[in-house]
Formats: sequence, C-alpha cells, structure tokens
Amino acid sequence: MNRDKFLANIRQASIAGRAYRVHPEQVSEQAGYVGTEDDCCAAMVDEVNKVGGVGTLVEDLQGALTRLADIVSSHAVKSAVCWQHDLLDRLGLASFLDARGVRHSQYSAWSSWSTDQCRTTWLDADIGITSADLAIAETGTLLVASGPGHERVVSLLPPVHVAIVGRSQIVPDLIDATSWLQELGFENFPSNVTLISGPSKTGDIELQLTTGVHGPGNWYVIVIQQDES
Amino acid sequence: MTATDYVRHEHHEFIDASHQALENGTLQSILGRLGDTLGARNREAWEAFGDSDQVRARARSIKDATLAELDRHLETLEQSVLARGGHVHWAADGEEACQAVLGILQSHQAHRVVKSKSMTSEEIHLNKALEEAGVEVVETDFGEYIVQVAGHRPSHIVGPALHMSSQDVADVLNEVSDEPLTNDREELAAFARRKLRRRFADAEVGITGVNFAVAETGSIVLISNEGNARLTTSLPRIHVAIMGIEKVIPNLADLPYFLKVLARAATGQKLSIYTSIVQGARRPEELDGPEEFHLIILDNGRSQILQSPLRESLFCIRCGACLNACPIYRNVGGHAYGGVYAGPIGAVLTPLYDGLSDHHHLPHASSLCGACQAACPVKIQIPEMLIKLREQLHTDQKMTGRVESFAYRGWAFTLRHPRLYRTMTWLASRTLGRWKRRSGWFRRLPGKLSGWTQSRDFPAPAPQRFRDWWREERS
Repeated sequence: MNRDKFLANIRQASIAGRAYRVHPEQVSEQAGYVGTEDDCCAAMVDEVNKVGGVGTLVEDLQGALTRLADIVSSHAVKSAVCWQHDLLDRLGLASFLDARGVRHSQYSAWSSWSTDQCRTTWLDADIGITSADLAIAETGTLLVASGPGHERVVSLLPPVHVAIVGRSQIVPDLIDATSWLQELGFENFPSNVTLISGPSKTGDIELQLTTGVHGPGNWYVIVIQQDES
Repeated sequence: MTATDYVRHEHHEFIDASHQALENGTLQSILGRLGDTLGARNREAWEAFGDSDQVRARARSIKDATLAELDRHLETLEQSVLARGGHVHWAADGEEACQAVLGILQSHQAHRVVKSKSMTSEEIHLNKALEEAGVEVVETDFGEYIVQVAGHRPSHIVGPALHMSSQDVADVLNEVSDEPLTNDREELAAFARRKLRRRFADAEVGITGVNFAVAETGSIVLISNEGNARLTTSLPRIHVAIMGIEKVIPNLADLPYFLKVLARAATGQKLSIYTSIVQGARRPEELDGPEEFHLIILDNGRSQILQSPLRESLFCIRCGACLNACPIYRNVGGHAYGGVYAGPIGAVLTPLYDGLSDHHHLPHASSLCGACQAACPVKIQIPEMLIKLREQLHTDQKMTGRVESFAYRGWAFTLRHPRLYRTMTWLASRTLGRWKRRSGWFRRLPGKLSGWTQSRDFPAPAPQRFRDWWREERS
C-alpha cells in the first residue's frame, strides 16, 4: 500500500482514538528495578542454577580451566567452536583444547573458509565456548552481541554451550543492561543482541518441561571471581 | 485449504464446539492441569515480583501514550530500519502482507521458508498463501510444527499443541518419521530437533513475527524458549519480520519493563530463555546472520480498532495469561473460540477482526469474573470490553431475535410503571409462586425457555412478595 496514505490513515485514527485513552496510574521511577543484594557473582551462579543451567563460581582463571576440563570430558567433546575474546585468550583456551585433542576453530580461521565449510563445522561441533558482553545477576542472563569473532551460531548450534564470564562483566539488573546498550549509540549498535537465560526449553507436550529442542540443552556458566590478569 | 488452515473458514459455532470439547477426555485432563501449571506459575511470579503492579501500570501507560501518536512512532521505526539498510513494506490488510512476502520470495527465486511462531502470520493465513504459490513452508516452534503436521489450528497462544497428549503427538510425528517414535517427550523433541535442523540449513528465507519493535533503534525483538526464533534469524539468507502496527514502542529504555512482565505472565519465568534484539541484516565483516532484512508493517483492521471504544485491546502483548486464568478457556480449550486468538482476549479480538455477527457467542463466553484482567501484564480491562461488545450486539437489531427484543422492551416498560410492576409481581407470586411453594424450583421450562433448564433449575417466584411480607412484619 501507498506509504503516505497508510500513515495518514494511522494519524487520523490515533487522533480520533485519543478520546478513549486510559487513565494513567502514578508510577515511581524506580519501580521494576530489582537487581540483587548479594554479591553479583554468587547471585549470578544461583540464578543460572534456578533456570536449569549449571553455574559454577571459581576463584581465578586456573579454576575456570579445571571446571572446563570436567565439562569437556563429561560430554566426550571432540570438536569445539569458539568466540575470539580477551578473557578466552587470557585463559589460554586454544592450547587447553589442543592439549585435550579437541578440534577447535574460530573467526580467524572461518573468515578465510567457504560458507559451506563454515556451516558444516558449526553444525557438527560438540560444544560452543563463549564469554559474554554482559551478564545479568538478577535473572542469570548472558547478553551476547554479534560481531566478527562473536558469531551468534557459537552459542546456538552445538548441543552444549559454555560461557565463561568475569566479575567485571556482571550487572545487577536488566535495566542496567539496556542502558549499556543505549550508550553504544545508534551507529555502534550490534546487528544482533541476544539475552540467554537458560538451556533451550519447551513445554509444548502436555505442559511438561523438555530441554534442548532447538538450542543447546546443556548450558554451563563459569563465573570467575577475580578476572583481572 | 491447507493443512494449518483447516476449519478456519467454515462456519464455527462456539456452542457446538465447546460441547465437543467438554466430551473430549484427553483435552479435559490437559486443560485441568493448566491452572496448576502455567496459571499458578503466573500468580507466583506476580507475588514474588514486589513491583509487579507498578511495572504493569507503566507498561500499560507506555502502550497508551504510544498509540496516541502511533503514526509518528511508526515513521521513526521506518527511518531507523532504512538507516541500517533494511526494507520496509506497508500492508493495509492480510492480502497485501502476503503479496509483499511473495514478492520478496520471487525476487530471490526462493522456495524454502522456515517460520518461527507468529500469531500475526496466522491471522493473515500466510502459510496458505505461500503453499498455493508453491513455496515449502515449515513451522519451527515445536508445538507449531506438531499442529502443522497434524493439520490442526494452534489452540493456545504460547502452547499451540496444548490440546494433544504425548501419544497424540507421537502418532502425528510417526507419519513423518522414518523410525518409529514412542510417546517419550525427550525422544519426540530430539526427533523434531534433527528434522528441523535440516530445514533450517536449507531454507533461503526465515519468517518471524515481532514481539516488540523499538522505533528509536530500529530493533525487532523476538522472544522464545526453544531457540527457533534465533535459528530462523541466523541461518537463512533473508529475514522477513511481520508486525501489527501496535507492536511499536518508542525507546529502548521502555523495553525492559515489557520483558519483565511478558515472561512472568506467559510462563512465570523472570525472562524467557532467549530474547533476540535484531537490528537488521549482518554487518559486512560478519560471518553469520541474514544478508537482507525486510519489515512488513500490517494494519488489517487495527486502525479501525484504534479509534473505537475497544482501543485498549491493542495493548495486548500475546502472553496467553488470560487464557490460563479463564474458567471458560480451562473448560472448552482454544479451538472452541473459532478464531486465531482464543480465550478472553480472543473473545474480544476475534469479533473485532473477523466480524461480530459471525462470532456473536464469543462476547458471552465469559462469566465476567475478572481473572483475565488480574492476570494481564498490561491490565487490559477485558470484562469491560466484553460488555461493550454485548451492548453492540444488542443495539444491532439483527443480533437479537424479535421475541427477545420484544421481551426486553416489555420488561423495561414494566419497570418504568410501578403500578403495572406491582400487579405483575402479585400475579406471579399468586400463580407460579404458590404452585412451586414446596420446592421453589422449576425442573423444566417450556418451549424456548427450556434452554435454561437443560443444565440447571430455574428459581420460582416467592409465594409471597417482599412488599407483602414487609407490610405484615411492620404491622
């Protein structure tokens, strides 16, 4: 339909509809901000467990690697797809996976591969390893923003997703996270921002919970208390 | 007629369909659980969220203010989407929207589509239009996939296959499975995962609905628990999103309040598992995500509702909480409502979208108990709107029988004339009242009135009028 005609019609209707506006209630500015009273790291791990994931609190980078080793061996992981991220570099993720004989790849390799080769690798991977751009303690949520090195498929296609985050990445409430996004500005806004708050779930058969229908059914979050190198 | 469209275009009687639903044992046992599962989780979530009342009030007033200047917000949204290289299509009705989608598919010679659950696409019968044009379209929400294979309509906003038992689901999926499947839920879900993964990988176009559209940032917000909306917007080359005009919100700062109430209302979660905030196609350096983005903005009767007393129905964010709370829905299920939208909000929306005369039973399919309004994340006054629709039915003469309207006029005349009223009540107590002095009830009424006594007794008038009793007491 003609755009201008469409909008003119909406304009007329919105003005006529003002006769039926509802009476607003007084709402306090702070209402809705929940956050957390506990330590952000502990609260994050707690919530992750409540929403059906497995959260672990570790002291430092070494602790994170020990935990990751458990996860890799319990799922008999043979191939991994990874983010390129400062925290994962500091962990020495690549040499850790090499030492365990796990095939792994990330953006630096994929950017020279063909689309088909990328797809096959992504679809066949046993595990996806990411960090996050932010984590939200109140809801046990990871905020992952897309970009080169932060491929959206890494946290989506493999049956197991592990995210490793540090204290400095955790904010108390969803409202803090949207403010953070807002501050990026229109130009720098990522093409895709996803909030992940648990393993993939469905209640579609008889209202009973079933996990892993499309996204990862196994969701691990490792929180590092001291993430400064 | 296509698989997902069956019975949609047939005349549908709420009364007949609800009788059938009441006799369906499987459906009854599943509906019986609804109050203790989704309904209870919703109530607990409101209780645990101290500010819930205030946040719902805020979400409500954002919707109200946005609708008052809807054209301006839609224009801002358009500019933001265009600024990111996206395409915007304006569709006055369902047919135009379907044509827009087909146009996009044709320009890319695309024949394979994956869809993530969208009530708006159900409303415009998109699957039917696509299939008629020879396009293969696969629903990817697990429940939606099951009803598509079964050839049913969705029966609940968030749980489309709610009306089926796990055995029903196994029977349906066995038709498309090479190996036999048992009624084990995990096994059925794993089958759907495998089957649909191939579809995701092959599809050229992904079609989604829109939960919220943020004007300022040009963002399309998609919410799911399964992850199919993420797959639909990550693997295919083209992403097409379809939204009703009322889905726009002005600013990103408004979004968290809606996210906080939507998941709590729908399933009792603090947040749904996946919330995707999509800003058009991938950027040049990115390796995944769609290469092209189209937004279809649909009116389809909404601008008429916007200027009507039922304007508030446009606040609805499609969470399904009113269905779970409703004593009528919990007895008759979603199919009885005969439209795309079921339950209390369906009883408002279906007459508005598909015509009041074809759905004249729906405004009456409510006891007006108010449970829907109490559950609603944006506090829509559903009972009041149902009363307005009943009023409309009454003023529209075609909707009331001649006998009925004569009876009401007689009743009104009697009430306005005290002497006549006294005579009539005296007569009633002397005749009917004295006749049923013992039991006080009629077991059966004659003729047209027998409808009342089919499932309950009718109270007889008292053998003595109140005014006579009062006079005796005082003397």
